[in-house]
Amino acid sequence: MSDPAQNEPPEAAQATPTQATPGQAAPAPADATPLLEARGVTRSYGNVAALAGVDLQVRPGEVVGLVGDNGAGKSTLLKILCGAVQPSAGQLLVNGEPVTFRSPKDSRERGIEVVYQDLALATELSVAENIFLGRERRRPGPFRLLDRPRMAKEAEAALESLAIEIHSVRARCGLLSGGQRQAVAVARAVLWGSNVLLLDEPTAALAVMESEKIGQLVAEVAKRQVGVVLVSHNMPQVHALCDRIVVLLRGRVVADLRRDETDVQDIVMWITGAALSRN
Amino acid sequence: MSSPLRHDVQGGGTAPDSRAEELALEAADQKRADERERKLGRRRRFIEQLQGEGLILVLIVVFVLMWISSPFFFTQQNLLTAASVISVLGVMAVAETLLVISGEIDISIGSVMASTSVLMGVMVSQGLNVWLAAVIGLLFASGVGVVNGVITVYFKINSLVTTLGTYSIFLGVAYAISNTATVSIGGSGFQVLGSGKVGSIPVPVFFFLGLWLIGLLVARFTALGRHIYATGDSYDAAVRSGIQANMLRMGLFIATALSAGLAGVITTSELGSAAPQIGDPYLLSVVTAVILGGASLRGGRGTMLGTLVAVAILGVLQNGFALLQFSTYLEDTVLGSLLIIAVLTDRLVRRAER
Repeated sequence: MSDPAQNEPPEAAQATPTQATPGQAAPAPADATPLLEARGVTRSYGNVAALAGVDLQVRPGEVVGLVGDNGAGKSTLLKILCGAVQPSAGQLLVNGEPVTFRSPKDSRERGIEVVYQDLALATELSVAENIFLGRERRRPGPFRLLDRPRMAKEAEAALESLAIEIHSVRARCGLLSGGQRQAVAVARAVLWGSNVLLLDEPTAALAVMESEKIGQLVAEVAKRQVGVVLVSHNMPQVHALCDRIVVLLRGRVVADLRRDETDVQDIVMWITGAALSRN
Repeated sequence: MSSPLRHDVQGGGTAPDSRAEELALEAADQKRADERERKLGRRRRFIEQLQGEGLILVLIVVFVLMWISSPFFFTQQNLLTAASVISVLGVMAVAETLLVISGEIDISIGSVMASTSVLMGVMVSQGLNVWLAAVIGLLFASGVGVVNGVITVYFKINSLVTTLGTYSIFLGVAYAISNTATVSIGGSGFQVLGSGKVGSIPVPVFFFLGLWLIGLLVARFTALGRHIYATGDSYDAAVRSGIQANMLRMGLFIATALSAGLAGVITTSELGSAAPQIGDPYLLSVVTAVILGGASLRGGRGTMLGTLVAVAILGVLQNGFALLQFSTYLEDTVLGSLLIIAVLTDRLVRRAER
């Protein structure tokens, strides 16, 4: 069982690499510089503190689960990490370097990419067009026309490397299932060299089989030494996928649990606050 | 993955047979969903064909009907005249199509046309060279595009409302300046824009087809085109992809207003005079052509080919009605009906997808 006074747990206890499970690469050791770090991040709305001094670290190849009840501050923290919301106090660091994100554009430039539950793709455009949206491949020449064959080929190769099954990259995204769309959005973020992937409820709207596939994709992404933050309500999935699980309660980190030291019931107790009163 | 995912919040094991049962149910669900998707796909394709091949069929039908109804219809002279007349509409429809695909609309074009013409009339009557007046007229038109764009994009006002407002403003300005009088304009070979011919083909047709080709190139073969579709389809996705969606829409408002200015210049040249009434027929007809051509009012959808065919349909109807001496009021009624039919078809396509 974890130490109850977990607001600022000692460094070493935080991210000891967990036993690598089959098909999952071991995340970087605890002393590796975090790809993304939040230090004492606070956000107040008037007198209400949505976040009060939150610390979070994401290391290369590490999947960090961010859990908590509604209103615990998960989405506020996610918005701060991607620059959509600015912290009232505290510091963000990318590769150990202090940064200020004024907008999601700033965070994207530093290799931090968010994949939202929906809204991620243009439904009228094809899979390949979505993957290359804003970064189209073009033919040489005065008109710089689109190089569709090249984009299709590269998109196919990319999806294949992540073991994403889609019958044709020329299919309109509107015709794909929710899980396939999610996969395309994740692939897109990874392909464009993001080092940190923030996933907001990636499987909330998906069928069981589809969310299992997204789980495999997350593991695949982590293998590429990308740091992943997974916000989810699906506790079994969080436990299965994440190396560490950070629990938020009323704007504070109440637990930072290693996967092999905890189980679903334990996580749920931390979320509800039952673990605090128990100890 | 090491452990199977479950939706129940139970840390312990579920019985293996219930897991298998769950998977079987899941597979059955999937199969049903697949079947439903296939069925929807068929329906969607059918309606898409209505919009694509169906539209061409409509063109052929109205063409043949007019051919049968009037002995004057299928003559080179008449068809070229009809092409020239409809080209003014076509010039505006190209930019409007791109604007509608990007998720906005501009209904002020008729009054931009009129005020450009009237402005030219004022300048020419003050002794300014007619070509210079035309250039200033185009600059003025672009200015209206900037106004439409700024109000819509940066103040986030519905473009239908914005451009309804600017429609009224600039129509009022046109009538006030001109005092409803017609000013004759000509000289310096200016009439070539509207009534000149290359071989036997009227010059306005070249303006239309030239712009249409550019529109086709942009829409289908450039990154800019993809960005226009993406912006209209999902604004958030476009912005997250680093597309300057606001600048893009702003540019399209300017392009649309500029093309309305060009239509005003061409019409002024053709008539040999500046008049505030010249924009009246275009309040609805341009938007009707664009929507009939398959561009969706919700953005993200539309093709240049569709717009071309729709413009041709309107051209044939307009010409045929004139030949058959139908009332112009009836023409308005038909135009309105076409607009409603086009919007309903778009609605059906969207519904077929759900």
